[in-house]
Amino acid sequence: MAEKIFKDSFDALVIGGGIAGGEAALNLANNGFRVILVEKDLSIGGKMIHLSKVFPTLDCSACITTPKVSEISRHPSITILTGSEVKKIVKRGKNDFEAMVIKHPRYVREEDCTGCQLCEQACPVVVNDQYQYDMVGRKAAYIPFSIASPRVAAIDIENCTLCGACEKACPTKCIDFTQEATEYQLSLRSVIIATGFNLFDPLKIERFGYGKMKNVITSMQMERLLAPTRPYNTVLRPGDGKMPCRLAYVLCTGSRDITVGNPICSQICCMYSIKQAQLLMGALPMADVTIYYINIRSFGKGFEEFYDQAKGMGVNFVKGKIGMISEKEDGDLILRYEDINDNVVKEASHDMVILSVGVVSNPDNAAFFDSGQLRLDPFEFVCQTDLLASPARTSIGGVFVAGTASGPMDIPDSILSAGAASSEAMSYIIRK
Amino acid sequence: MAGISTKSARILVFSTEKISDPAIDMAGLLKLHYPPTVYTISVPCSSGIKPAWILHAFEKGFDGVFIAADGSDCTYGESCTVKTGRLVSMTHEIMKEKKLEPARLRMAAICSVCSEAFVKQIKSFNQYLLQMTQS
Amino acid sequence: MNRKLGVYICHCGGNISDYVDVEKVKAAVEHDEGVFLARTTMFACSDATQKEMVEDINANQLDGIVVASCSPKLHLTTFRAVAERAGLNKYNYVHANIREQVSWAHSDNKTGATEKAIHLVKSAIARVRLAESLDPITIPSRKAVAVIGAGISGMRAAIELADMGCPVTLIEREHFVGGRVAQWDLLFTTDQTGKELVTRLYDDIAKRSNIRLLTGAEVIENTGNIGDFTLKVKVTPRYINERCDEGNLQRAIDACPVEVPDDFNFNITTRKAIYHNFPSEYPQYPVIDIKNCTRCGECEKVCGSIDFSQQEKTVEVKAGSVLMATGFDPYNPSEGEFGYLQFDNVVTLPQFKRIIDMCEEKLTFRGKDIHNIAYIYCVGSRQVEAGASSAGGSATDRYEEASRDISGENRYCSRYCCTSVIHSAIETKKRFRAVNNYHFTRGIRTYGKQELLYNESLKMGDIYLQSYENDPPSVIRENGKTTVRINDIMTAGKEISVNADLIVLVTGMVPRSDNRIASLFKLPKGRDNFFNEIHMKLRPVETVIDGVTICGACQGPKNITESVNSSLSAATKSFSYVSKGELELEPIIARVDAALCTWCGKCMEACPFDAVKKVVDGGKEIAAINNSVCKGCGMCLPVCPVNAIDLVAYSDQEMETMINALAEDIK
Repeated sequence: MAEKIFKDSFDALVIGGGIAGGEAALNLANNGFRVILVEKDLSIGGKMIHLSKVFPTLDCSACITTPKVSEISRHPSITILTGSEVKKIVKRGKNDFEAMVIKHPRYVREEDCTGCQLCEQACPVVVNDQYQYDMVGRKAAYIPFSIASPRVAAIDIENCTLCGACEKACPTKCIDFTQEATEYQLSLRSVIIATGFNLFDPLKIERFGYGKMKNVITSMQMERLLAPTRPYNTVLRPGDGKMPCRLAYVLCTGSRDITVGNPICSQICCMYSIKQAQLLMGALPMADVTIYYINIRSFGKGFEEFYDQAKGMGVNFVKGKIGMISEKEDGDLILRYEDINDNVVKEASHDMVILSVGVVSNPDNAAFFDSGQLRLDPFEFVCQTDLLASPARTSIGGVFVAGTASGPMDIPDSILSAGAASSEAMSYIIRK
Repeated sequence: MAGISTKSARILVFSTEKISDPAIDMAGLLKLHYPPTVYTISVPCSSGIKPAWILHAFEKGFDGVFIAADGSDCTYGESCTVKTGRLVSMTHEIMKEKKLEPARLRMAAICSVCSEAFVKQIKSFNQYLLQMTQS
Repeated sequence: MNRKLGVYICHCGGNISDYVDVEKVKAAVEHDEGVFLARTTMFACSDATQKEMVEDINANQLDGIVVASCSPKLHLTTFRAVAERAGLNKYNYVHANIREQVSWAHSDNKTGATEKAIHLVKSAIARVRLAESLDPITIPSRKAVAVIGAGISGMRAAIELADMGCPVTLIEREHFVGGRVAQWDLLFTTDQTGKELVTRLYDDIAKRSNIRLLTGAEVIENTGNIGDFTLKVKVTPRYINERCDEGNLQRAIDACPVEVPDDFNFNITTRKAIYHNFPSEYPQYPVIDIKNCTRCGECEKVCGSIDFSQQEKTVEVKAGSVLMATGFDPYNPSEGEFGYLQFDNVVTLPQFKRIIDMCEEKLTFRGKDIHNIAYIYCVGSRQVEAGASSAGGSATDRYEEASRDISGENRYCSRYCCTSVIHSAIETKKRFRAVNNYHFTRGIRTYGKQELLYNESLKMGDIYLQSYENDPPSVIRENGKTTVRINDIMTAGKEISVNADLIVLVTGMVPRSDNRIASLFKLPKGRDNFFNEIHMKLRPVETVIDGVTICGACQGPKNITESVNSSLSAATKSFSYVSKGELELEPIIARVDAALCTWCGKCMEACPFDAVKKVVDGGKEIAAINNSVCKGCGMCLPVCPVNAIDLVAYSDQEMETMINALAEDIK
């Protein structure tokens, strides 16, 4: 299907351009190795670039991600393919891999696009904006998001009506509907898997009402509502645009829950919820924020102190499991829960509910190698075959794992894990 | 230096790049407020501040100068504390000669996480300077 | 002098612009002398804005830029790189911190914040007008790394560095390698024991000719700097010859009449003055604990390998970077804390791990069979402010109650203990018959996949109880029986008592009590007193001391996997300091005005680095600065009686012009 075929060779293939993949690529490149970074999405930066602030320091997430992203994109030893997928990797021998990568057409010549957004203005098609987690619309000709890298337009061909308005509006004539997929045949000496995680899909828990009740949103949607590049420039409930004043967090949505097949803890939800609660107290000074939890897991450096800080700010912590959520006529929500402190079932009314959705594995990992070569754990995360002495090692020599591809992890741990993966890749390449 | 209708004194802070400036940054991060007429100039080490710079600040109309010293955390060595103290007393002497109230120059060791201490020091210095200018 | 300047004022997506009127700042400075263009930007650090800056500089031949955004600690290097990409010397860029020191610090006063931002930007403009172009000073960097601490983190880092082709000296204070991990038996999620893991790593080290291992070795002096550290290491002898016969050595151990508490077993057993911690421990021959040896000579009688003539040595280690992996101490409860050292059946988690490791068929402690075990969590972790906890501790005729005070300095969670104790509890149940586990928790924190272990333990019938905040369980001794009592959240506050044969205090991690290494290297510490990295996310293994990296539990509580991840990250970082054989240093150093200097020697006295020398220049004695030694601290500046020394980029003119701009009235 691909028209053009490119051949090239690199010291390392890094799959995934999130914070872990980016860090691993930078480490390798800064030590003189040539890296190819393949990202499925239209921009690098992963999930982190979309976050508001990060715990426990409350640094602005974009402020940490964007300089890394721009360092990666400028690095002379890093080649980036966005909108591209690794289709197959074959290990031919030690220090010798062959990979096939498909770059999907963007229908925009990246090198010519100036990101002026005139195509966006001209495009008549409006669809949900996946980067704002469907809370607002975007055009079919669009720049993914304001701090995307590369910050160039793309045509969403599935929704495009081929009306040609964008082509006419484009001052550099860089829109090209004749673009086709490009195939890259790569010769590599090592591979780093940094494919990250997926968020748990809350539609799987019907009793929480996500998708039916408009004022039930996910934590990632709240993250967007709080981010500097947020959709409404303030926190509003999606049902009616009202400013919420009684917000509830439902922790462990899709984590520690055998009924949805995910018994493990997602490791990040307690802390990001506590962080969002603190930010909400700042953004909505009159609001009450309640966090319904099973156990608060503030285990990392500075986390317990951050949890104490939230308690001090007046965030209400209730030890209790949510049974179900129902909607009133005015859009408010009734949470039925077991209050563990009092050992009774109670009900509480809130005007907005945030489901703290957990971390699940990215199914892409299974497809890179021929079946069974890359061992996965029971939850389909990449299996760490020498967890204690070499956490980045996988079942295939020369293939390393970085970040949440191997299981839930917060940002600092993902960065350290990427450090380990790049370190092992370097010594693997040097050792020969 | 007239014209500014604030209730706070103008204070020049000399901070140090690796120790006290991070603490002052953290005060901001924690939203620990202090008067906005407090300005910071960062130097590598508090023991490298020339008395002439301090005197220049008074000459230009600053009410007070505060040295956020490295203290024992100084990355350039333990002698920093003594040396910073020495330059402060040297400057105090010159201030006396120039008929400047020596208490308008203050120094305190501010460690890299001493945000609260910094804000407390600055607030009390501000109070002092305001009282002094009123009387 | 720079005359054509670009000024960029960042919104920081609202972080700044919500409190500072950035357009007003722009309007206030755009007509300042030398300012050619002034712009506001949503994110100065974004790739798009960086590109725009480069284009601006090139298109307009700007010769200086000012960026007013967040703290320079975050993005100084980012914008220096921008300047360089545009062909501008990076020292012709000056930063103004209008976020941490303006918008956030003065979020209560928008007018005041805006005025302060204007002043700071004006002062940065004034400074950049005077900025000079500077070239970095290049110094050689020795391709060698000193790794301090041969626990799991240090050993792993040493192996990785060696594999990257970098010679390593691995310095261990104890006589055996492996650190804390050697003390643990089975490790979570694997079927490996701590000993096996340590043995594996030791074998890997032994195979690599570019790792030099020093045991019984303590760093006593540190001089030099990044690229060229010189460490003095005191090496205590083992008093045993290396090529020795193991059989005879065991006889020597048997013959030794001295018995001292064995710290390897956390003092629950004793050892001889000649000892190894466990058979086949590495290095594989014992050591004589000379402090406790009575020189009775019994060992010499049965073994020819004993050699009391061995002398303490001082070894010099040279390295371009130092990697710190000095680990942690287990929290040591005070006497009476939950009955520790007060009741004879109260032990800590590390002691408990040694007990189960040492018991063979039956679980016993101090001669008594153990069936009911009570685990009290968070001892020494998540402590509260004094007064907040309802401390107990009383004695009546009938019973004695231990102190349950949980106040203290350690506010942090020690992260590894929940998983560690649950794992030990499961192993205990699997290995020994009729064991009942009762967990007195403050909320279980088996994060991530460790949750599976908690589920397994629940399935095995372990009982979990949870105390209310500031109301910890109490330990009571009555008629020779020990009971743990709790007001349990899980049963809505019901008081529950458990009769326990053994009480395990689940103690956390604390920073090493011996602080000498930190003071030798002047390593900064965080609020929790562990070593502190520069930035948890941006520079997680670097310290403010150039060339010194940190990893493992000396940086804060971590489990083994997390320690190794950080250790490999630190290895990469240390490697990058030394791999090229040279390093570029900042050219911000002192300089002497030869015309003014009349050599008095005061600057030489003030310099802590020996960077000032007396030279003769044109028949006149003056001071001269050694450029690769000078660190640019400026300590020599205030002492000069004739004002002949300046610091590059901090000249009198620059400082005064900045002060002038800050003092200027604005409308």
